[in-house]
Amino acid sequence: MRLLPRLAAALGLTLWAGLAVAQPVTIRMWMHEHPPRIAIDKALIAEFEKANPDIKVQYDVISVAEYTTKLITAFAAGSGPDLFNNSSTLVSQYFAARILAPIDYAAMGYADEAALLAKYQGGFDGIRFQGKLYGVPTEVSNWACFANNAIWKEAGLDPAKDWPKTWEGLPAVAEKLTRRDQNGVPVRRGFDFNWAIPGTFWFTPNTMIHQLGTNMVDEEAYKAALDTPAAKRSFQFIQDWVVKLRLGGPQYTDSRTEFLAGKLGAECSFGIWGIPQMVNAKVDWTVLPAPRFEGAPSDNGLDAYAFYMMVNARSAPAVQKAAWKLARFYTDHGADLFAGAGLFVPRGEVMESPAYKANTAAPFFVAELKKAKFSPRVVGYAQVLDAILRGRDRLVQGDKIDAVLPVMNEEVNAVMNRERARAATLVK
Amino acid sequence: MFVLPVVGFFAAFNLFPTMFGLWLSLTDYDLLSPPIWVGLDNFRNLFADRMFRQALGNTLVFVLGATVPVWVLSLLAALVFDQAFRGRDVMKAAFFLPVLPPVVVIAVVWRLLLHPNGVMTSLTGGWWGITEIRWLADAALAPFSMIAVHDWAIIPFFMMIWLAGLAAIPPEFREAAAIDGAGPVRIFWHVDLPQLRSTAVLIGALSSINAFQTFALQYVLPNDPGGPANSTLVLGLLVLKYGFQYFRMGDAAAVSVVMFAMIMCVTLVQLWFNRRA
Repeated sequence: MRLLPRLAAALGLTLWAGLAVAQPVTIRMWMHEHPPRIAIDKALIAEFEKANPDIKVQYDVISVAEYTTKLITAFAAGSGPDLFNNSSTLVSQYFAARILAPIDYAAMGYADEAALLAKYQGGFDGIRFQGKLYGVPTEVSNWACFANNAIWKEAGLDPAKDWPKTWEGLPAVAEKLTRRDQNGVPVRRGFDFNWAIPGTFWFTPNTMIHQLGTNMVDEEAYKAALDTPAAKRSFQFIQDWVVKLRLGGPQYTDSRTEFLAGKLGAECSFGIWGIPQMVNAKVDWTVLPAPRFEGAPSDNGLDAYAFYMMVNARSAPAVQKAAWKLARFYTDHGADLFAGAGLFVPRGEVMESPAYKANTAAPFFVAELKKAKFSPRVVGYAQVLDAILRGRDRLVQGDKIDAVLPVMNEEVNAVMNRERARAATLVK
Repeated sequence: MFVLPVVGFFAAFNLFPTMFGLWLSLTDYDLLSPPIWVGLDNFRNLFADRMFRQALGNTLVFVLGATVPVWVLSLLAALVFDQAFRGRDVMKAAFFLPVLPPVVVIAVVWRLLLHPNGVMTSLTGGWWGITEIRWLADAALAPFSMIAVHDWAIIPFFMMIWLAGLAAIPPEFREAAAIDGAGPVRIFWHVDLPQLRSTAVLIGALSSINAFQTFALQYVLPNDPGGPANSTLVLGLLVLKYGFQYFRMGDAAAVSVVMFAMIMCVTLVQLWFNRRA
């Protein structure tokens, strides 16, 4: 008599487990829009679904301009994606809000963190928090400088020989490439910073400050270092560029557009992904390292950033496991992403691929990437960046640097203190 | 029962969002975690916030520039087009054209015209040999560029309202004044203007509310929205920044409540004037 209930229970459990296994899992996956990557994404997802019939992927592509707002709004509404891609500059906000799930190595098919890292030659610095990894890179990027060979030739210069090694040498070369009207207004600039993309003023001055041995923001101590000799030297260079030397400024057409139109001698805000755009625009280019400051203790080029694939910690455990499985499958196809979409991840098979070997600029970017540092990641990134941009704007209006930097420093500190305290209060 | 659908619609799509916004202004909410009740802290913090004070000041300057000159210039234009002259209708239609495109389109077109070495620089600075004017990149000049573009686009709209007001004045009034020996200036001052009082109240209220709510121009026209150095940052733009760039929804809602209160004051003043008119 006792056997019957036990048999019934065992049968019930088996049936329940069978049903549970048979339940298909649906992963909602969000990616930012990068047109050359979309076809690759769709092909990879179809392949993944074929190999994993119990997992369905609901794939959505969202425009870059709307991506972060939509992502956060979706999280607020409780309908955030299970698997999503985003930039290293923004991940701190998600980490503070406990949205990021730590990597599930077993679900990804790795023995441990060391096994995962063995596949890569870097790129994880932007996604490590308190010793744990929370995502895998789908793109690791650094910017470099590009010269328009035709403009340089016209000015009697050769970018390979004449590109300055130091920031201090840059104005003289830029002046030779610049054409001015009767009032000294540049009608064609030799070199200019990218004033239109706000993030440039996170990467560029931070690169300069890194070269001088410090950082704009200490992300561990949550303390700004914008009122220091290193910051002063860097921002003074930027101010002089506009106010004293009149070699460029935010009032002109943005540097990328002007470079692709063949009207700018050189600029420093393209990554390796920019080369196809230059080929399409028929600009004959030379890739060059970012200048360093004279006597700088650090030999770093422009800061690195990355896009990471992350998993929503609020998704169901089964969905999280399936999402990590898909992340592994996706990132194992880094060579396809590089060949088809120009997105570079420093993995062995990518660097052995024909597309990598055929790309003459790739070894240069990798060499610079090895020396590059990730820009600091802080909660309230957009507010900190806005405070820096306000200071930058005041500098190019001609305000004294000694008056601007302390205010910038104070504003950034106030934002970081408030946002860190807020994150601690809001996240329970 | 007959009005229930309308009341329901109003409650769902007007009353509820307004009340929700008001409640949100009393919380700290970053979209990622549940809102936390903070009472009036957001309002207290706003007045200590440099960005809010700057945005409030910029908004008041913009409202001033987008109202008084608009009233005067649109009335002058209306007085011109109220006269009979050859080609009047064609010219009136041409003058009205800037009202038709959306503000974003106007901003994009003016962004090209206001390029530092562009058309407007040639037209204004060319006489003195100036080849670069930083219309949108100079913190002192950019707010006035915004006002100029706004006024250019909105004056024809208010001109049409003045024209309707002028058309409603019985011609006998002017004829009687003319018979009594009044000249055009006196007729305008003692006959037209008093008759236009209710039109003036309407234009005053519409232009002020429109100016308080300005957003698209300051978002699209400068190189950075609200820039340079926050010189064109207005309250409408601050709501967007706080809410969807900084994820400080409570602060964004508090700014919205302040804007609501300011617009409500303008509306009450309008109602008071309307009664007197």
